[in-house]
Amino acid sequence: MVEMERAGLPTVSFTAAGFVKDARRSAQAFGLTALPIAVVPLPLTNQTPEEVRRAVDGCIDQVIQGLTESPATIVEAPAAGPAAERLTIEGADTLDALDRMNGLFLERGWSDAFPLVPPTPDRVERMLGGTRRARDEVVAVLEPGFGVGTVEKIAINAVMAGCRPEHLPVLLAAVEAVADPRFLLRIAAMSTGPHAPLILVNGPIVRQLGINSGRCALGPGAPSFPNVVIGRALRLVYMNVGQAYPGLMDMDTIGSANKFSLCAAENEEANPWEPFHVEKGFDRDQSTVTVQTVYGQTDVLDFANTTPERILQTVVSAATNIAIGSTGRWLEGHWADPRTKVTVRDHGLVMLCPEHAAIIAKHGWSKADIRRFLYENARMPFRLLRWTKEPSTLIAGRPDLQWLLQHPDLELPIFEVPDCFEIAVVGGPAGRSMYFYGAHEPVTKPIER
Amino acid sequence: MRLEVLNPQAATIEQTVKAAHRPSDLQGKRIGLYWNLKAGGDHALTRAAELLTERLPGVTFKRYWGEVGSLFRMATASDVERIAAECDAVIGTTSD
Repeated sequence: MVEMERAGLPTVSFTAAGFVKDARRSAQAFGLTALPIAVVPLPLTNQTPEEVRRAVDGCIDQVIQGLTESPATIVEAPAAGPAAERLTIEGADTLDALDRMNGLFLERGWSDAFPLVPPTPDRVERMLGGTRRARDEVVAVLEPGFGVGTVEKIAINAVMAGCRPEHLPVLLAAVEAVADPRFLLRIAAMSTGPHAPLILVNGPIVRQLGINSGRCALGPGAPSFPNVVIGRALRLVYMNVGQAYPGLMDMDTIGSANKFSLCAAENEEANPWEPFHVEKGFDRDQSTVTVQTVYGQTDVLDFANTTPERILQTVVSAATNIAIGSTGRWLEGHWADPRTKVTVRDHGLVMLCPEHAAIIAKHGWSKADIRRFLYENARMPFRLLRWTKEPSTLIAGRPDLQWLLQHPDLELPIFEVPDCFEIAVVGGPAGRSMYFYGAHEPVTKPIER
Repeated sequence: MRLEVLNPQAATIEQTVKAAHRPSDLQGKRIGLYWNLKAGGDHALTRAAELLTERLPGVTFKRYWGEVGSLFRMATASDVERIAAECDAVIGTTSD
């Protein structure tokens, strides 16, 4: 809507009362804090047409006002208080100063709410020693707040998360991944859904840094120390660089423990196929980081079956979930960044445990065979595929597919093409794989030291 | 004890967009109804058009949604250009 104002069009947007702060901050990020809104009591979703009509009846004067009165007379910009680049915290002793620093960072919204390591100038300097990149180099500008992610700012957040200097290059590559237009960071960071960045590390750096790819790879605990702190640092970067602060620009309805930290390495030794990053076009000896937005995951317990078909049928059972936003969303069209028009399909991620992977490979199945099986079997009737979606969105967005409305029992795949199923091998012994419900597309970047 | 720490918050790229000039009234104006395909938004725009038609003689409406996107749609530069050429003002939904 800001772009429409820029083009000379007066606008007004319906906004639910619980999202006014978010709307203001988003509009501010795009350059027009005073973008006019008409406030309805509740989101328009999950309401009957009659309830929506009543909500509009209650704010039609705001609509007229928004289109006919100068916005500056209606809205005041929120107060912005830039803090100093260096802060001095006084305490009775070291622990008291640390408590006060954590209190201050909580107050300012800079914390994920766990205690932080103090980003002292010395610690940040040591962290910067983990990369050859200049401290003032801009790694990425992160949405939704268009924060300038310099190496130094990312390093400060890495210190706070507990990272060591050797972890910094992994984090820098992860930041580059989430800034890629294919990642659709603005949607992932601001949504009402529990979108969390899942980090997957490949290549020699896994062994060099001791990133856990085996038992308990996703943590918690000492074996996953690098995983936990790298994942945590990316969350802090989302907040302190991208400004995805909870309740302000991160409008997640319930939230998710996945958002604190979600990082694993691929267990390449136990992978009977080519590693994940090689599939993405990188050399085996190139270390990479992949980031995929996920809504959540489910355990895929299968101790009983000994054939690819039966094990993958268990994965199919997990994947065919009508409560997940990406299920069947391909019918509405492709995601895209409106500026670059880069189009993106939703992807799901199968984390196969080594035992399941070995059984599948032993029968001569390739990853392409797995994808084909999942694509052909993870299907459901059209009426279930669109259980949470209104017919009107299909009619408007994909008029070429309107005919499907007359065929509610037609079986359709949850994803548009087999390649929408990503496959990685992670974990230790025992037949428990994991299926991640993904949003958008994974992005892989090389790790440069 | 004094603890000196660095600020983790990044600077932001500040953009400034001037709000469009507003007409003093909407009579006879062409109003775009922009729906991003979020559920319920179409009903809200329909009702807004009904209410404005009752109050404002000669007002006309045209519906739009974004060129790109999936379950919700976003407007591209060419969408904005087209709407600006065809309308005098826009009502949008939904910013949640």
